[in-house]
Amino acid sequence: MLKKILIIEDEEILADLLQKKLAISGYQVFLERDGEKGLVAMRELRPDLVLLDILMPKMNGLEVLAEIQKDDDLRKIPVIVISNSGQPVEIDEIKKLGAKDWLIKTDFNLQEIIQKVKKQIGD
Amino acid sequence: MALKKKKIKIPALIPSAKGIKSVEDFRSALLNILEDVEQERKRAEEEKNKTLSIITNLSDGLLVFDKENKLSLINPQAELFFDIRAKDIIGRPILELATFPALAPLISLIGEGIKAVFRKELSVKESVVLEASTITMADREEGLGALVILHDITREKTTERIKSEFVSLAAHQLRTPLSAIKWALKMLIDGDLGQLLPEQIEIIKKTYQSNERMVDLINDLLDVTRIEEGKYLFKLILTEIEPILQFAVNSYQEEAEKRKVILEFNKPQKMMPKVLVDVEKIRIAIQNLIDNAIKYTPQKGRVTVSLNYGKKEIGVAIKDTGVGIPEDQKARIFSKFFRGSNVIKVETDGSGLGLFIAKNIIEAHGGKIRFESEEGKGTTFYFSLPIEEEFAEFLKEF
Repeated sequence: MLKKILIIEDEEILADLLQKKLAISGYQVFLERDGEKGLVAMRELRPDLVLLDILMPKMNGLEVLAEIQKDDDLRKIPVIVISNSGQPVEIDEIKKLGAKDWLIKTDFNLQEIIQKVKKQIGD
Repeated sequence: MALKKKKIKIPALIPSAKGIKSVEDFRSALLNILEDVEQERKRAEEEKNKTLSIITNLSDGLLVFDKENKLSLINPQAELFFDIRAKDIIGRPILELATFPALAPLISLIGEGIKAVFRKELSVKESVVLEASTITMADREEGLGALVILHDITREKTTERIKSEFVSLAAHQLRTPLSAIKWALKMLIDGDLGQLLPEQIEIIKKTYQSNERMVDLINDLLDVTRIEEGKYLFKLILTEIEPILQFAVNSYQEEAEKRKVILEFNKPQKMMPKVLVDVEKIRIAIQNLIDNAIKYTPQKGRVTVSLNYGKKEIGVAIKDTGVGIPEDQKARIFSKFFRGSNVIKVETDGSGLGLFIAKNIIEAHGGKIRFESEEGKGTTFYFSLPIEEEFAEFLKEF
């Protein structure tokens, strides 16, 4: 069984590239384009890992993290935040809200993102 | 303003033997004198009114303290700045003025003894920013008190803020497409989307590098806006500086080898005292200095990083045998976007922000930065960071 990864990212091109790279790397990938739908998908799919953007319509990544924290089941799913800004204040907030790891999009390549994913859930 | 009494010469009052005629003379002389006095008085009055109306209508706020540091004058503009009435505060000593909440920030800036202040920022009321300067008035050796001048810079500050916000917003907006380009090109290079011809890969690699430069520039711009917004230092921890320097030196070793420049680190033998720093930021400052040193040092040159410490501070020197800083440009070296005319020839791209950022980081930690340079021979940048207790003192001022 392939491991399931849910991407919650509103930027189409970024989401597409991530999806392709993860698929090549042997994961089963699902995609949602806003926080609200992302949370619903988390409950339905029970993914092995979530890649979460911060700035999104409807519900932003920080709000999604806060919701996950309230739910005993969802809390078990590791979340890696893929952020645009990397402001120290934001990173602190992300860590407090229980994200397992975080990265700044412009500072990382997809290969490095895959490595972070592997570190959390293996191949 | 007090008028100085003018000495007027009065003729001898004893009537002479010449009798009545002399009395007449005396009378007319006296009248003449009175007339002169009256004219002088009028002129003085006019002068006084003129001075007063200048002070009253000045767009800057003005406070005058006498030599006992009692407030002797406040102009209407200053009353407006502080929302305070002259009659409530005139004649009071500065210590008493400190008890007025509206005046407290000013008094804490200039101190009880009215120290020398030059264009220091001061926030009063909501969103009003002033620039305060003090001037000591002296007449020969005698002190006459002090002037406090308050210049309203609210509009300048607002413009500056809007500009910062714009740059910050633009930079953030640019990051998403830059990330997309970065990720897509890397996938192409890695063959994730099918095998490409070597020539194609070569071109894409170069494009990838250009994109990386743009990412760096955007990051520099964001750093600058954060510095300008005054929310730059984030997490201060007590640590040794040596590992931070070592890390920076290591991370530039490859680049130095590529450019055939020797990069070395002279470590001190003894244990170093700790410093209180935002590690991430200090690292940026050090990297900017090393980056410049390597970039602008020709092949076979040498870049030496060294560390030492005194009683109150640790000192770092970054010495290169590079192109140096032209004499006429030394004053501008830390300015935003400035690049030396000789370095532009060596390396066409560069944001001109590295030293500006480095200086701001060092100074935000209470440190100092300076340099010595000779064109064609090399440059040494020195910076110091206060040892922990000193830094705590520095922070108290804020």
